[in-house]
Amino acid sequence: MLSWAIRLEGRALWTENADPGTATYGESLRRFGGIEFRRWDPSRSKLGAGIMRTRRDKSLLLPKEGSTVLYLGAGHGTSISHLHDHLCGEDNDLGGRIIAVDLAPRCLRDLLHLAKARPGLVPVLGDARKHSAWGVLLPRKVDWLFQDVAQSGQVEIFIDACRRFLSLDGTGLLSLKAASERWTGEGEDALFAKVQMQLSKSGFVVEECIELTGYEDNHVLFVTRRVE
Amino acid sequence: MWLWYDWQAAAVADDEGIIHDQAVWDGFFDQRALIERLDCIANNALTPEAKTLHERFPDAKPLIHGDGQLPDAEWPLPSHEALEAVDKAAAEMTRQGVARAAGDPDRRLEHLLRASDEMRSTYLTMEARLVEWVGLFLPEVRFGKDRTSLPKRVGESDSLEMLAKHLDVQVPDEGPSKSEWKSLREWGESTGTFKGKLDRLENAVRELTEQHLPSLSIMLGPLLAARLCVEAHGRMRLARLPAGTVQVLGAEKAFFHHLKTGADPPKHGHIFMHPWISRSPRWVRGKIARTMAAKASIAAKIDAFEGTPWTQDDVDLMDNRVEEIKAAHPKPPRRNR
Repeated sequence: MLSWAIRLEGRALWTENADPGTATYGESLRRFGGIEFRRWDPSRSKLGAGIMRTRRDKSLLLPKEGSTVLYLGAGHGTSISHLHDHLCGEDNDLGGRIIAVDLAPRCLRDLLHLAKARPGLVPVLGDARKHSAWGVLLPRKVDWLFQDVAQSGQVEIFIDACRRFLSLDGTGLLSLKAASERWTGEGEDALFAKVQMQLSKSGFVVEECIELTGYEDNHVLFVTRRVE
Repeated sequence: MWLWYDWQAAAVADDEGIIHDQAVWDGFFDQRALIERLDCIANNALTPEAKTLHERFPDAKPLIHGDGQLPDAEWPLPSHEALEAVDKAAAEMTRQGVARAAGDPDRRLEHLLRASDEMRSTYLTMEARLVEWVGLFLPEVRFGKDRTSLPKRVGESDSLEMLAKHLDVQVPDEGPSKSEWKSLREWGESTGTFKGKLDRLENAVRELTEQHLPSLSIMLGPLLAARLCVEAHGRMRLARLPAGTVQVLGAEKAFFHHLKTGADPPKHGHIFMHPWISRSPRWVRGKIARTMAAKASIAAKIDAFEGTPWTQDDVDLMDNRVEEIKAAHPKPPRRNR
């Protein structure tokens, strides 16, 4: 077990379904000891892929259950649904809170349906860069922040968001898509090294750099801790 | 002095973080009022509490919660109930925002145009099959200009003999079986209905584009204007594109081939569909495309920022300019060696 709700069975991740009987994106459901779990498909979720690939303790990538987290670039809610399983549980027993921000109305359409069945999930239609529009939803800083926005300037967006919303010593996860950044002609490795430099200069300790190749090509998941 | 505020409270504190005054709003069970306040904060405006405190402390600088300049203090943060209320309100705001997306003409235009493209390719495939199919049974028939009435004729004929009579050709020895003929007839019928659907779709595209992009429509025709808008991912983005990009929109393959290998850049993208370019001699097409793209870019800006739309007079001026270009280059340029 990685956490109370997440279990690793062989090579597959499973999370205890907070909305029993329903599969969110066509994943398989299965019972372990009478409790229903949903399979976390790492090729559909960068967070899931990161958990599968990390060389450190897998639970270091996860927020504390029952806490408030910020998720930028929520997408269709694949990762979010599993995160919700872990953070909130059925009917939000644990009192967790996920502020899920995305720009695309198409994605929010799916997230709204998800949020109906999963209290504790707050879908927000907004720009990850424009903090003023949704920043007041977070009265306190969060200990866990995830960003997956495939647009140029991802790193700056991440640093700005962490400065404002991530507490000291909090974990910030940045999923970086190489193709969204300007091609410098030096190759992807140079780009990822540059980002790592930029992060450490901006007051982060880059604890791990997880290559997601195989699950999600040309993506790297940076696991950072805010130190200043 | 600092005036801190969020959607449910406001407080005044000095640089040391000692709170001098505060006002808390507890009407958050009223979702409409709460959404109004969230909107207000998103626009960087003052909430009623902040206004009250601002009158009392005019020299305090008002800043929204979370601003880096604010000192650390025991701000009156929302209670658990208030947080639950604001979560619900945020979800409701999102729902409204998603619903508003349906009012966005860019998104509507994209679906309409793509649908009409798909309908057109379906129709053309079906029509080509119909002509070949009928031609197999009636080898004497020649379809010159008048292919459009064929679907209707086939659909109305009860048998191949009847169709042959309609088309004024001899009935051949070999004919289709009863069920085969039925299939052919139904194929003709659906080809006809598809044509009707296609026309209606294109009319809908025209109607929406003429409202959404009046200047660009009158200059390039509504269908081409719609295509440029969809290809640029929206009217505002089209307006912000440089004219050079407008010129090669739709020629991405050739353009990136040019970037990669240094081959000649494309002279025109979708804009080629316009008769000013496609009906002009080869050697002036690039020049005309450049002029037109510049004008189209201006038209898109007028439409996006809701200026006074162009009229036919403006288009006539451009027509003259195109004729000038053609007159200045009557002959193809000499090749170097």
